[in-house]
Amino acid sequence: MAAHPRRRPKTVRIFVAGATSMVLATALAACGGGSLSSESSSGGGDSVKIGLVVPASGVYEPLGIDMTRGFELYLEQHSGELGGREIEVVEADEGEGPDTGVPATTKLITQDRVQAVVGLVNSATALGVKETVVSSEVPLIVANAGADDLADGSEYVWRTSFSNGAVGESLGATVAEEVGDAPVYVMAADYAAGAESIAGFKKSFEAAGGTIAGESLTPFGTTSDYQPYLSKAQNSGAGAIYAFYAGAEAVSFVKQYKAFGLSESVQLYGAGFLTEGGVLAAQGQDALGVKTALHYSSLLDTTENQEFVEAYTEAYDAPPTAYAVQAYDAAAVLDAALEGAEGTDGAAIAAAIGELGEIASPRGPWSFDDDHNPAQPYFLREVQDVDGTLGNAVVNQLNE
Amino acid sequence: MGWLDANLISILNGVALAALLFMIAVGLSLVFGTMDVLNLAHGAISLAGAYVGVAMLDPGGGLGDFLVAVLAAAALGLVLGAALATMTSVVTSHLRQALLTLGIALIAAAVLTEIFGADVESVPAPSGLAGSVDLLGKQYPLYRLVVIGIAVLIALVLYVVLERTSVGAIVRATVADRGMVEALGIRSSLVLAGVFGFGAALASVGGLLAGPVLGAQPGLDNTVLLLALVVVVIGGLGSIRGALLGALLVGQVQTLGVSLLPEQASFLLFGAMALVLLLRPQGLLPARTATGAHS
Amino acid sequence: MTKVRAPLAAALLLVALASLPFVLAPYPISLAARILAFALLVVSVDVLTGLTGLPSLGQIAYFGVGAYTAGMVGIHVTSNVLVQLVAGAALAAMVALLTGAVAVRTSGIVFLMVTLAIGELTHRLADGLDAVGGSNGLAGIPAITVYPGGEPIILAGYTYWWVLTVFVLGFLLAVLVSRSPLGRAMRGVREAEPRLAAIGQRTYTIKLAAYVFAGAIAGAAGTAWTVQARFVSPGDLAFSVSAIALLSVVLGGAGSLWGPVIGASVVILVRDWVSGYLPGQGELMLGALFVLAVYLLPRGIAGLRPPRRDRPSPAQQEQPAMEVVG
Repeated sequence: MAAHPRRRPKTVRIFVAGATSMVLATALAACGGGSLSSESSSGGGDSVKIGLVVPASGVYEPLGIDMTRGFELYLEQHSGELGGREIEVVEADEGEGPDTGVPATTKLITQDRVQAVVGLVNSATALGVKETVVSSEVPLIVANAGADDLADGSEYVWRTSFSNGAVGESLGATVAEEVGDAPVYVMAADYAAGAESIAGFKKSFEAAGGTIAGESLTPFGTTSDYQPYLSKAQNSGAGAIYAFYAGAEAVSFVKQYKAFGLSESVQLYGAGFLTEGGVLAAQGQDALGVKTALHYSSLLDTTENQEFVEAYTEAYDAPPTAYAVQAYDAAAVLDAALEGAEGTDGAAIAAAIGELGEIASPRGPWSFDDDHNPAQPYFLREVQDVDGTLGNAVVNQLNE
Repeated sequence: MGWLDANLISILNGVALAALLFMIAVGLSLVFGTMDVLNLAHGAISLAGAYVGVAMLDPGGGLGDFLVAVLAAAALGLVLGAALATMTSVVTSHLRQALLTLGIALIAAAVLTEIFGADVESVPAPSGLAGSVDLLGKQYPLYRLVVIGIAVLIALVLYVVLERTSVGAIVRATVADRGMVEALGIRSSLVLAGVFGFGAALASVGGLLAGPVLGAQPGLDNTVLLLALVVVVIGGLGSIRGALLGALLVGQVQTLGVSLLPEQASFLLFGAMALVLLLRPQGLLPARTATGAHS
Repeated sequence: MTKVRAPLAAALLLVALASLPFVLAPYPISLAARILAFALLVVSVDVLTGLTGLPSLGQIAYFGVGAYTAGMVGIHVTSNVLVQLVAGAALAAMVALLTGAVAVRTSGIVFLMVTLAIGELTHRLADGLDAVGGSNGLAGIPAITVYPGGEPIILAGYTYWWVLTVFVLGFLLAVLVSRSPLGRAMRGVREAEPRLAAIGQRTYTIKLAAYVFAGAIAGAAGTAWTVQARFVSPGDLAFSVSAIALLSVVLGGAGSLWGPVIGASVVILVRDWVSGYLPGQGELMLGALFVLAVYLLPRGIAGLRPPRRDRPSPAQQEQPAMEVVG
């Protein structure tokens, strides 16, 4: 019954060691100072910290890569300075959704004390950080997330990308004209972005006299077989389909649209994400003839854009996408804002953004509207074979 | 006839999806039935097979190129399966097997993303089979019809091998009484590694064949793993006939089911699985003791 | 002497955890709060998996019920955190009772898949229900108040203390149940259900009681999550979360309750904190951790504790939960 003399103390030692090391490790990792008093926002010094939060993992990683490239290209073209001040970029991984994106953004604001945040692909994440951004007085420049309600004029939320409804709305009148009397079937992935896109399209389409043949919302992220919905569209007698899909869903949808024979009788229209970036490469020839609306195309024929495409292609060996331009313009916005700002803290930067006029951009000049969304041109694009590679050729501008 | 006319294509799609799921899932069921190992790296193996297609196939490539890719995928699967067999042989509890194989799956997925990038990739079908045929007045992709044929062939081969050949007899004997098999001079560990390797090869080839339908991208391994688990559990662990029936059921739920009940589409699969398991926990066609000592 | 050691060590640990807000900056503190909320979820998984032998992938559903309830109560009814906690845990327990009534009829791998179905169906329900925000999640949850008319608690250190309180209460409850007659009955079901049934015990009732209890704990964990995040989204209920919750239990040593807590902390630290230094490599790190743990820690983290003379050896504790297949 005699206990081994050396064994028992080990139990306690393990616990104590574990506890102390946990405390030490986390204390070392922290900037210290405790979390029982309110933090003051930073703003001293010449170097300005900008947080860049984009997906570095998960299904949206390709968009994150494009956005980082766009932002860094602008910095490179301006010797790492925005508004005459040296810039320190702090990167964070947004991941796939708000469960990773919200902590990542919060870390940039509370831990790294950035003076502005750029990025965000996922709308749910952006909506989740909105309150933090406002209460911490750190301006957020959304470089992709498209939820209609995200930018509502709040002083600290600005957007250089788009809103889902506006993209859909831009296409309505043109489609009504092109299909004539035939009705149009609308389809989208069943989440907020899809619903908003369809709503925008229907608004302008029906106002221009068009009729809707039917509507399908397909389960988001879990649908790989669109044939039942494509069949419905075909059986409804529609002359065209308007669809909102992005990423892998866009690839599957367009390929099946071709494989099940709809491409011969039913014209496919969509929001530009249907054929943007890596998605087009995966769709290949199946995407020929698909018409989409977006605020940018790499084939846009202006001097400004050609210079941009050349610089981007040389730096990264790939053509730019709308995602890259959105981030590029975010840097441009910060450049102009920091130039005119009275200080370098978040509040001063936000105020300066509010004073900005027109931004010169590869997509054409644009400015912020009252909701802090870009008032910008939208283009009708068609997938064509241009000099051996597939691209979104610009047919015409959709709005004035 | 009107109903059939409207839904024939959906039903056929369901059978095509079932064919792919069967090929991918049967390895999972076999490995569990014979070796009592829960292999959560199965989805990653299937994705690796799809990426073999991405690496080796170009649009417009012929049937020969495709067959070479199939062989490469099978070889890769064999190697991965044998490696997994060795790694899991020391771990006996199902939960620890889950921990190990999921860890391996995470590492494998990260490696694949590192090599191939995060973009969605397409796997082109062989040029002769890439087109569509006329089926009762509607267009249908020829490739999917071929895939159905291949799955039927594989199911037949599996049945014949396991039930009618001596190799199959050895496998069934190893499951029933390992000690006796060892006493006869056959190294049972080799047999089991062989089963694992074969199951993984099927998964890898299945992933390649599914490439033109499902593509290849990060995250697909989780989707496929989940579907495969549902298939084998509905069908009955360790049973090949069960995997076939499970695949057919899942295939129809995902296609015809979604077409008929679009509002409930995202709940159909797991709802159906829960229903089957609550009514018949051992699965629809549970294994007879010969091919699986565990019900 | 040993009877003093364990509670002493636990008290020391508690003091250390409680003093973190004095030394840590707001972001690490919010990370610590997230870890504690997740750890309580993992405790609820261990109650089922480790103590009762029912491996579960479905606790995330009750976690989600608790989290969304706390959020909805916060937005529409009151910001009083006690109300949110009680409402969340109670609703989660009710849902657990309804779903558990059918789920505990099964066991082993079938139980695992049924709970997987429960988890995934709840996830998709949250995604589709516009009333709770749908795919965009539930935002605009106000800061909590502790007593009626009190000041809203905004600072990270104070919300951390609330989460710590919920965690400690939940963990102590689990330990109490584990040492009670119900706990012994649960372990009896794990080890030898047929024998228990043969002597006249109603194993169904025992399992259902364990299931409802675990559901309530998971619901409480969910309310704590909402308090610190002030945002709930369907992504919080994803399959990947319930998978790593179960794996944290295995990593920590199923059945010990405190082992899975450490397992949960290690998993979250590796995935979120370490990967902050290697962006995008979180999954790889996690995979490596799991593989190493299987070979280096054959009995989980709890197995590192040397066996006492009068306690069953960890080898017996390791008895796989799933082997008792019905």
